[in-house]
Amino acid sequence: MDTVVLEGLRISGLSYILIFVVLGIFYGLIKLLLRVFPRRDGSA
Amino acid sequence: MSELLRGIVGMSDWRVWAMFCVGLALIWLAVKKEYEPNLLLPMGFGCLLANIPFSSAVGGGFLDVLFKGGITNELFPILIFIGVGAMIDFGPLLQDPEMLFFGAAAQFGIFFTMMLALLVGRIPGVMGIPGLREAAAIGIIGAADGPTSIYVATRFAPALLAPITVAAYSYMSLVPIIQPPVIRALTTREERMIRMENPEREVSKTAKVIFPIAVTLIAGIIAPMSVALIGSLMFGNLLRESGVTERLSKAAQNELTSLVTILLGITIGSSMGGTQFLNPTTLLIIAMGLIAFVFDTAGGVLFAKLINLFRKRKINPMIGACGISAFPMSARVIQKMAQQEDGSNFIIMHAVGANVAGQIASIIAGGLILALVR
Repeated sequence: MDTVVLEGLRISGLSYILIFVVLGIFYGLIKLLLRVFPRRDGSA
Repeated sequence: MSELLRGIVGMSDWRVWAMFCVGLALIWLAVKKEYEPNLLLPMGFGCLLANIPFSSAVGGGFLDVLFKGGITNELFPILIFIGVGAMIDFGPLLQDPEMLFFGAAAQFGIFFTMMLALLVGRIPGVMGIPGLREAAAIGIIGAADGPTSIYVATRFAPALLAPITVAAYSYMSLVPIIQPPVIRALTTREERMIRMENPEREVSKTAKVIFPIAVTLIAGIIAPMSVALIGSLMFGNLLRESGVTERLSKAAQNELTSLVTILLGITIGSSMGGTQFLNPTTLLIIAMGLIAFVFDTAGGVLFAKLINLFRKRKINPMIGACGISAFPMSARVIQKMAQQEDGSNFIIMHAVGANVAGQIASIIAGGLILALVR
């Protein structure tokens, strides 16, 4: 495999993992929001 | 007289006729089949305008002005995202945040297709050898998200913009045809009949308002290249959820989206010149787009099956397929499939949650690719 293909493989793998990481952070954010603001606050 | 004749003489080029057929085919798909008509119809007409010999619409005409003013500088896809954000209710996702991971898993097709494009490009005589940037632009069709595809293709492979856009929007409209066979091939009937309890928790308005702001800040800090995409989507959503800008929210959902869609469609269509569009690369891009959607679906379904190995309460693996960004088409398809197996099985809330997660994930994928590919 040439260097471009290897670089593509590295970027693809890294990007795919990073999507999980970023969305994992959003998961934590939502959990936090649900805990801090647990129910309707009247105006919703 | 010669001015009149040169148009007729220009019709002797077979590519003009071929592109007329392509333009008319897009219009036919929009009118007769109702496949993404809001985009394919303007695209088809733009294609006709651009391919009339010596057309005054291109070559410095109004379509060129629109291309420079809306596509080259990425303005149109960004404006579309404001409208999309105003249309999306993140409520189902906030009620069931686990669905976020299906959005991540179903981006698999992007990277599979990117690698495939790189490898195919290395077969002598098959295709001009694309670099990483071109391969990434082709792979991003798998984001199943038109504006993200346009945004990335404009930066990485402007010459491939037209076929990438046609592929992205065509396959988004073909989700009801593409996804079911892939899902059936990867799941058993028992798995497709799995019931899921609807999340009963309420989401406060405060949480709904904070969510788009926090997501923009977090995504922006991690991947600054994604700020334009995620920021515009979340800005639109904030207009919706704030509850104090109803007029702006409605304008973003209706007037802004409609106007920009007209301009975007006709301008993309105008980039479908015969010499650029009619080559083997276009056919390969169209084929790879289909592969991207298939592997997105497979990635989501297989991820759901994988996590089911560790869960007591099983997830219907079809939900994984909703992680693609084609919203709300994919969620509807999966709900329909669930009801085909069991008429009283309602998994629509989970499906919608995974589907909006796919919207976020596809933008993050676009931002990461923009940041990492040089």
